[in-house]
Amino acid sequence: MWQVRPANPDDLQQILDIAGSQSARLSSTLPKTEHTLANKIAQSQASLASQSKGNSPRRLLFVLENTDTGQIAGTAGIDARAGNGHPFYNYRRDNLIHASHELNVSRRVEVLYPSHALTDLTLLCAFTLRPELRETPAFELLSRARILFIASHRDWFTSRAVVEIQGIQHDGGHVPFWDSLGRHFFNMDFETADQYSGQLSKTFIAELMPPNPVYVTLLSKDAQAALGEPHPLTKANYDLLQREGFQPGSYVDIFDGGPVLEARTDSLKTLVTSQQKTLHGSETPDGETCLISAGEGAEFRCLLTPVAETLTDEVKVPVSTWHALNRSAGDQVRISPL
Amino acid sequence: MLVIRPLQENDLDDLYLMTQNAGKGLTTLPADREMLQRKIERARESFNQRCAPEAGLYLFVLEDTVTKKAVGISGVEARVGLEEVFYNYRLSVTVNASRELGVHVRTPTLHLSNDMTDTTEICSLLLSDDYKGGGNGLLLSRCRFMYLDDFRSHFSEKVFAEMRGVSDKEGRSPLWDALGSKFFDMEFIQADMLSGLGNKSFIAELMPKYPIYLPMLPDTARAVISRVHENTRPALKMLQAEGFNFNGMVDIFDGGPVVEAFVNNIRTVRDSVNRHAMVVTKAINLDVPPEQRVMISNRSFRDFRVTTIPMAWIGPDNVRLPREVADVLRVESGDPVRLAPLKDSGVSPIYSLEGPENEEEKILDRVRNYRNRHGQD
Repeated sequence: MWQVRPANPDDLQQILDIAGSQSARLSSTLPKTEHTLANKIAQSQASLASQSKGNSPRRLLFVLENTDTGQIAGTAGIDARAGNGHPFYNYRRDNLIHASHELNVSRRVEVLYPSHALTDLTLLCAFTLRPELRETPAFELLSRARILFIASHRDWFTSRAVVEIQGIQHDGGHVPFWDSLGRHFFNMDFETADQYSGQLSKTFIAELMPPNPVYVTLLSKDAQAALGEPHPLTKANYDLLQREGFQPGSYVDIFDGGPVLEARTDSLKTLVTSQQKTLHGSETPDGETCLISAGEGAEFRCLLTPVAETLTDEVKVPVSTWHALNRSAGDQVRISPL
Repeated sequence: MLVIRPLQENDLDDLYLMTQNAGKGLTTLPADREMLQRKIERARESFNQRCAPEAGLYLFVLEDTVTKKAVGISGVEARVGLEEVFYNYRLSVTVNASRELGVHVRTPTLHLSNDMTDTTEICSLLLSDDYKGGGNGLLLSRCRFMYLDDFRSHFSEKVFAEMRGVSDKEGRSPLWDALGSKFFDMEFIQADMLSGLGNKSFIAELMPKYPIYLPMLPDTARAVISRVHENTRPALKMLQAEGFNFNGMVDIFDGGPVVEAFVNNIRTVRDSVNRHAMVVTKAINLDVPPEQRVMISNRSFRDFRVTTIPMAWIGPDNVRLPREVADVLRVESGDPVRLAPLKDSGVSPIYSLEGPENEEEKILDRVRNYRNRHGQD
């Protein structure tokens, strides 16, 4: 059985394996070195343990685990405040009208403005999944479990949520948007910059990024084509997030030009459709498959379960699900249809 | 004889012919009769002081006194950017550095600027092919510095010139193709022509206002920034010899450089001396090579005239002028005149005079010469 639970230090090696595999990466925000990853796990545990709202912003990391084998097959994260106390960088796409009344011409000019506007919004991040699971319900479980976590810890998160989607990268690692823009200023290839951004504080971005707006028309054709386009590998994720209520807005990633999706947290589909129920047992393992979650903070678990019957306040699921959730009859759970 | 004098009403035909033959690249003087007529009117008002000093446009022509035809033109715009907005790109450097990463990146950047506003521009130099050589181009260009020097209150302390940038035989500018055309759907020649007709600031309004990071432009475009057109190289050399230097500004269309100098540092200005005219009846050989000639001006604001004479005619206090030269300059004996070297090669000719005949004058001359060198003329 697949379950999503908060990451703990024992998961380190398995997560590193996933993070290192290029094809599993759908997001560039998962650190790829042991030290930084260990820190991230520790930070996640501390965030879950702390009940206070203030102090350092919460950063959470969840894993997808096969409860039968103990194998970790994916990760998904939430930063309660994008930027984590530092500026969160994006480019905002905007248009200027260059017009001359005298010459009777008017032209729309697209500009990328460096922006911090998304700083402090809740950010879904660090999504990775073993490629063989991409077409399975486990994929949806991993992605949407985060929303259920948000639903049950709503006051930890902000009214708007964002997700960065990986942008276009050609075979051989070339990132057209980076090659046309960032490379000139950071003086390093995309991989290196990407690694730094996972490891180091983001001050190097502030130090090296061009401080002024950039005209899109001066980017290479290839880079212009890549602007706001998701990487083909992210398609399933991209579609799922759109169904969830995330929409591409006017922000793109500063490194690869990939789209940033935005949503109102309270309008997220999983959040709207999920319901709190009291747990009861069912005899049959049949029924509609639903996401079910329970537990606060570090106790949070989310899995897929057949739901035999849903009454107004009660839900009947197999007892095996109780065990996986570490809950028993009469406890509160949250369910959402697949 | 060739003489510099203010542009006049009846020069229109000659001027039109000159601009027609000049072809592309001379944006300030398009072959357009109406436009030229307006320029003539502006120049007349300027010389007659019927307009505000800031609005002055002083256009001089080189006249062949034999044919009575204007064969060259040059100009001074008293102040730019007062009616229209005057745009340049300032070529500067953006440094981004990260100590943490050990990265230090210098990015050449073009910033749109109006820094030349309210500054005097020398412009509109054009010389007929038949008259090229023999120092005529130098006379046409340098006579302006004598004018600036004598009437400094009408001009800014600093003067500049926009040099024509690089374009190919078909008139395509690599910078325009990479930058301007992306914002203004037009060929360079067309845009250039429009700006000559007074639309440059309109076009500039359509150009990018945010800084342009040069690494984002193709190599062909970057290569021509602050470079001059092949045909403009002699003009640049001449101005450099006068003390003009690239000031970091480039043209927003073709990337040609702006060169500037302070009036009091311009070589022609520094090397000028005053004398009084002494009209002589004795015939003198006018025909000496350019190296032995000096410019002589009549120091008149309204009817500024400059020609060249052999430097041998210069005396300690006076300069001997045959009647025909005095007539061309419109001076009489006793009138003040100002002299400046024509060529920049070698020692300033003003000081390498042929000695006077008698011993007494030689001594006096040495004394005066000494005083001249120390600025007490």
